[in-house]
Formats: sequence, structure tokens, C-alpha cells
Amino acid sequence: MSPTATKRHFWWRTLLAGPAVCLTSLAALCGGALWVPQGAAAINHLALPLVLFPAILAALFFHACLDRSLIRVAAVQGSLLLFNALLILRASWSS
Amino acid sequence: MVKLKPDTAKTLLALHGRFAVSLGLALYVLVVTGTSSVFAKEIADWSSPLATLEHPRLPVGLDQGLRAAAATVDPRYLADVSAYSGAGGRIVAFFHTHELRPESGKFEEIGVELDLDPRSFTVLERREGWSEDIARLNAAPGLASFITQLHVRLHIPAPYGLLVTGVLGLALMVAVISGFCMHRHLLRDLFKRRGGGVSLLAARDRHAGAASWILPFALVLAFTGSYFSFTDSVGLPALARVAFAGDEVRLVEAIVGVPPAEDARAAALADIDAMVVDAGRRGRTVPNFVLVERWGRRDARVSVFLEPAEGDLTSPTYVYGGTDGRLVVAKPDFGLVPSAGGKLIELIFALHYGNFAGVSSKIVWVGLGYGVSFTALTGLLLWCRRRAETPAWRRLNRAVHWVGFGLPLALAGTPYGFFPARAAGIADTQSWMTAAFIIAAVFAGALAATARDMTRVKYLLLGLTGVALAGLPLLRRATGGTDWPDALAGGLAAVVALDIAFAIAGIACFAAVWWQSRLATSRPA
Repeated sequence: MSPTATKRHFWWRTLLAGPAVCLTSLAALCGGALWVPQGAAAINHLALPLVLFPAILAALFFHACLDRSLIRVAAVQGSLLLFNALLILRASWSS
Repeated sequence: MVKLKPDTAKTLLALHGRFAVSLGLALYVLVVTGTSSVFAKEIADWSSPLATLEHPRLPVGLDQGLRAAAATVDPRYLADVSAYSGAGGRIVAFFHTHELRPESGKFEEIGVELDLDPRSFTVLERREGWSEDIARLNAAPGLASFITQLHVRLHIPAPYGLLVTGVLGLALMVAVISGFCMHRHLLRDLFKRRGGGVSLLAARDRHAGAASWILPFALVLAFTGSYFSFTDSVGLPALARVAFAGDEVRLVEAIVGVPPAEDARAAALADIDAMVVDAGRRGRTVPNFVLVERWGRRDARVSVFLEPAEGDLTSPTYVYGGTDGRLVVAKPDFGLVPSAGGKLIELIFALHYGNFAGVSSKIVWVGLGYGVSFTALTGLLLWCRRRAETPAWRRLNRAVHWVGFGLPLALAGTPYGFFPARAAGIADTQSWMTAAFIIAAVFAGALAATARDMTRVKYLLLGLTGVALAGLPLLRRATGGTDWPDALAGGLAAVVALDIAFAIAGIACFAAVWWQSRLATSRPA
């Protein structure tokens, strides 16, 4: 890989491991409130995304750092982001 | 043994080092102050005791005490009344409501907070205003609060402080997971000791060995700590926006349990003492917090929270009808019936605070917490030492010595601001403690920046920390603190126990200097 390509690769990975991970995790947190089953106490859909938020952040961060394919990293984060963003948009329109 | 591809191992090593170097010092501050905060309640009892410590800590008579106090406050503050046993056993009663604070644009508690004597229920101190301002003026638990706030948000204003500590929690998680994967022989590393004295190999083994022992605990701390920081700063506001149109109060109500329908007609409140005693009997443990909602109304509700019973991580909350005093529901802390989400949050609380088995679990948590601190510090020192040829790394080495050995000195110096201010009757003890902390930190910084030999800096700062810690019992007595015979007669176990603990910690600092100097002079094996 040429030095320019390496540099570009580094910045893409930094973008995916930093701001993109934060945004995707936040979308998963908010979206979780809409698709996680409420359970008998009607709090699972709020409690589980809150509890899992740091784990989602860490998992996405490690994936973004360790997966050799940036396209795969972007695909995983993009699909998560899209799925949750659509849920949030649908909920905000219906309310 | 964790088998990794060379590329993966290289990336993990880079992550481990970069996170450690860029955030390691702040992480070290977080872990050391968090470990010290495990005994926050005992520190509060030690630093501001009353003549005796009442048992149970919410004694009979609370009902009359709260009624007498309620008659002295603005009726709008009767919307929510909380009572718990604070520093030295003072009953802290907060009569409050939630209003929009113009400065912040956010809802905040506003009201009157009273410190009541647990025997006579006379008012010892009265504070009025917004909850954040009141907390600053609450001098009795000031010393414990200073350390706890340093841990929770590094004294950075909300919500940025919580965001910073949340990111640091994640950094600890990254360091722990990458460290775990990098261990080629996890079990062997637990006991492996090569080289001797202060050789690089011996230092590496000490770091890897300590890290191997505390890995699971560090992961638990990192995860639960991140949860706390992100929940308050990001999670709750985001969820409220999505699911409750931005109304955080409704979100909290949904998680804790929805209140009954409103009925604002006036009605007398049932006997609070009877409800507290009943909850303690049902839960087979000690009540530690009472919340009266809608005092003096027909829809009033009284919730009694309990310490965990022996062998349990948590206890149910008993909710009573405010007018008839009858038990409405025994509910978990979160939700009205048990749930996976509620259990997980309860587990996170128990694991982070380490208070599920009383003092014994707290002692274990402190030991493991200092293990994490030791690992963070030895890791940073090792990283700098391996690169000691480069001027930039030598500068970082000075910074590591400054924070690594200056922070314990600054923390041990904080009571030297608190006790004189308290003895002089100054309400704002926070400023005095901040001054003492900064003076100690600046002194350590100046020493680390100018000294030639970092080993001597380490010895000097450790020695001074020892002097400061061993001097704490004397300082407490010199500023009007209770003596041991009176403390023992009054059941003030925390006073005697912490006096002894600080003296031992002081001696341990001298022992550490002696051990380090012995290592330095011993020949490598």
C-alpha cells in the first residue's frame, strides 16, 4: 500500500473506531428502547439498552480496530445505524 | 493461552499502550479515588461524628421529627420528602419539589434540607435552595463528598465530567481486554517472577502478575463505571427523547414504578415509624432510606428502602399507602415486578459499590481496587522506562511520577483543609479542601518537574504521604475530634477503626519506601 493510501486507511479507521462507533452505539441505545421486549415489569426495553450501552461501544470499537476489512466494519456499523435510525424516525413520525 | 494472529496481537499491543499512555494518568486518578470512595460512608462518620451513633440508623421517633420539621417548611416542598442516616448518624431530611432551574434550563430539586439529631430530632443544621448548592454547603459529609465527586466526575461540571469518566471507563475496558488477549500464558503470569531487584524484566513481571490477578475485577469496574457515567450523561436523556418526548421524570417513573393516580385532597399521613419498623421486619434487615411522596395528600405514598439482607445482593423496596400505612407492594428497586433488566441494574450497583456483604466485601473491593491502581501505575512506569532514551518519554515519566505518587499525597492532604475549616465553623469546606489538594499537587508537580532523580521523588512523595496519613488521627483530635474512650463509649466504631487504618496506611507507605530501596540495592538474580 502506498503511503497516501496507508494514511487514508488510517483516517478511515479512526473515523470508524471513533465518531462512527459513538453514533452507532447511541442509535442502538435509542432504537433498543423501541424493539427490545418490555417484559413483565415493562422496563426491559429501557434497562437492557442502558446496561448494554458500554458493551456495545466496546464491541464496536474492537471490531473497528481489529477487522482488516474497513468495508466490513462500515457495513456492520452502517446496517446497525440504519436499522435503529429507521425505527427512531418511524416512532417520532407516529407520535 | 490466547492465540492471536501477529497482526491482531500488534494492534492490541498498540491499543493497550496508546490508551494507557494517553488516558492512563486520568484513569489512575479515577481508580484511586474510586477505591477510596468505597468507604465514603465510614469516612463521613469518622470525620463528622456526633457524640453517639444510633442503632438502627433510622430510629423510632423519626415520624415525630419529620412532622415537626415539615411544619417549618414551605408547603410546596412537601411534594417529596426523603430521609436517610447521613454523616455521623445525622438524619438528613430533604423537603423538596422539582422545578425548572433558570440557569441550567433543567429540572432540579429545590427545597429545605435539615440535619436532625437522631436522638432528640432537634434541628442541627438547615440548608435551603437548589440541591446542587445545598450539597456544597453540607459540611458534615464534605470530606467523603470531595473524594467521591473527584471519582464520579473529576470535579468537572455536569454533564461533561460524567462523559469524561465514562470515556475513561471505556479506556479501562479496552486496556483490560487488550491486556487479557496479549497475555501469552495467563495462568503462568500469575506467579512468574524473573530477574530481581528493579530490573526491567522484574518490573514487567510485577505488572503482568498484578494485572493477571485483577483482570476480572478491573473488567467489572470498568463496565459498571461506564454504565453509571453514560446512563446519567447520555443514556437517560437520549431514551427520554426517544420514548418519552424528552420528559426524563416520566422515564424515571417508568423505570422505578409509576405513581398512583393523583388525588390532591388533604389527608393525614400515617405513622412513618410503624412503616419503617414493618419494612425492617419483613425484609429481615435494616431500613436505610425513606421517601414520602405527596405528603399530606390522599394519594401520599411512603417507600422504605433497606440494606441488603445477609446473603442477598439487594433487598425489596416496601411501598405503603401514605394515609392508611398499609403495605401496597414489595417491589424490586426497578419496576413493580422482578425483571431481567431490573436485576441487571441491581447487580451493577452491588458490583460497583462492593457493599453487598457489608464491611467485609468493601475491604475486598478496596484491596482489589488498589491492585488495579498498582497495575495502572506500574504499566505506565514500565512503558516510560522502555523508552527512557527519548526526551518526550522522559517528560512523561516525570508526569507519571507526579500523578502516581502525588495523587495519594494530595488525597491524604485533603483532610488538612477539611478539619481546620470545620473547627472554625466554615460551611464551605469544599474550598478549603480544594486548596489543600491543589497545594499538595503543585508541590508534587514542582518536585517531579525539577528533580534529577525520579527515584528520590518517589521516595519523598511516598514518605510525605505516610506522614500525612499517620498524622490524620492527631489532626482530628487537635481540631476538637472525639477521643477514643468517648468514641468507644458512644459506639463510634468508624472513628477508632479509621484512626487505626490511617496509622497503618502511613506505616505501609514507609514500608513501601524501605521495600523499594531494598529492591534497588539487591542484585538481579
